[in-house]
Amino acid sequence: MFVILIGLVMFIALMGFTLGPRTTLSWPEKFLRDTVGFVQNIFYKPAGYIAGLFEDIGNMKDIHKENEELKIALAQYTREKARFNFMESENIELKTALNFTKAQLEKNNYEHHIAQVVSVNTDPNNRSLVIDIGERDGVKVDMSVTSVDGLVGVVSKVSNFTSTVKLITTMDVKDPNTNAIAVTSLNNHKTFGIIESYDEKTDTLLMTGIKEDDPLKEKDTIVSSGSGGLYPQGMIIGTVDSVQVGEMGLLRTATISPSANFVDWKQLFVVFTPEVLE
Amino acid sequence: MMMRRPVLILLLFILFILEGTVVPWLIPDSWQTRIVPNLVYIVILFVSIYNHRHTALVLGIVFGIMHDIVFYGQIMGTYSFAMGLSAYLMGFIFQAPRAPMPIMMTAIILGSLLLDSTLFGIYKLFQLNHTSYDWALVHHILPDLFVHFVFGLMIYVPLRSQLEKISKLNQKEKAA
Repeated sequence: MFVILIGLVMFIALMGFTLGPRTTLSWPEKFLRDTVGFVQNIFYKPAGYIAGLFEDIGNMKDIHKENEELKIALAQYTREKARFNFMESENIELKTALNFTKAQLEKNNYEHHIAQVVSVNTDPNNRSLVIDIGERDGVKVDMSVTSVDGLVGVVSKVSNFTSTVKLITTMDVKDPNTNAIAVTSLNNHKTFGIIESYDEKTDTLLMTGIKEDDPLKEKDTIVSSGSGGLYPQGMIIGTVDSVQVGEMGLLRTATISPSANFVDWKQLFVVFTPEVLE
Repeated sequence: MMMRRPVLILLLFILFILEGTVVPWLIPDSWQTRIVPNLVYIVILFVSIYNHRHTALVLGIVFGIMHDIVFYGQIMGTYSFAMGLSAYLMGFIFQAPRAPMPIMMTAIILGSLLLDSTLFGIYKLFQLNHTSYDWALVHHILPDLFVHFVFGLMIYVPLRSQLEKISKLNQKEKAA
């Protein structure tokens, strides 16, 4: 009986200790994570290929249509690329003319590093996944992770060769480790709101703090605004489902359905932000 | 004959790897966020019934810790606590070297419910989830239970014969 009691106390102490903002891992943890990650890596990819093969056969007849759409999108992208290049060079010229410091100039100069998923934990209480780049590749805690479709989560723990990604589906107002995302609309940068919680029942994110005269409307694409620091600018998060009057009646809230689909993980991108000199 | 116990550990490790890598691909997309099969735990339950609850307790804690460290999102120790405790309790209630199949299946049903409920309880205690228990029950605990039950049925015959051999081995060692 006494042993059980001691065990219980030890476990609660362990949980309490690891719950707080703990950024570095001890070496046994790192060793175990890297070893398991290595073995998982061997299994995950082939399984994905085989599953993907069956899916591809199923999707065969949609491919022609998808190809047409992609061609149109590519043409539009090429046109806009030319315009973008002009604007970017003009922007840089203006910034140098205004004597921006080097840190200011490089503030939004992000690098996307590709990472392979090595394993997935689907536990609804703690959804996370493991990717195959770690400390050796320069990954740090709190870096954003995106898929091709949009923001997926943030790096929560890093060991030498692998890192764990905490999905945005675990976002919670009450959790002290959750950082809210400051967001704006892709089309209209006057929009401002904050996303800090995810509703499991409806699979949507909740955007709060929207002013009453805000031009936000349904079907708008929501991106991170980059103010507030942690999340880099321009990460695609989702589209607006509906806008409602908030609980207090003054501000409005919007439900956002995430654009990343949280199944069948393959490649992800870790967003490296430029180093801030202190 | 002496190789059986390391083989069991190896089997558990391989199951643990498969759980995080191959299993998510086998589950249909719309169910991927709901079903969390804990195959390692089912094998540990078998150990708990047909071998000894103390072995199951140790295995539960070790593989739970492994799960906690590899998928460390917010909190550590939940899986090791839940898996160790529920495997031990199931062994405490049902342990019998000659337990027939219905008893084993009952143990799997109750054990699976206990595991998921304990996990839910811990996350609720630390305010890391904000759903109600009845929603969680319908949404993932019961689907989980079904998958665990089917997996239990699949491995029942081969695993039981192996475990009985291990138990005999233990008895021989004690006698000697």
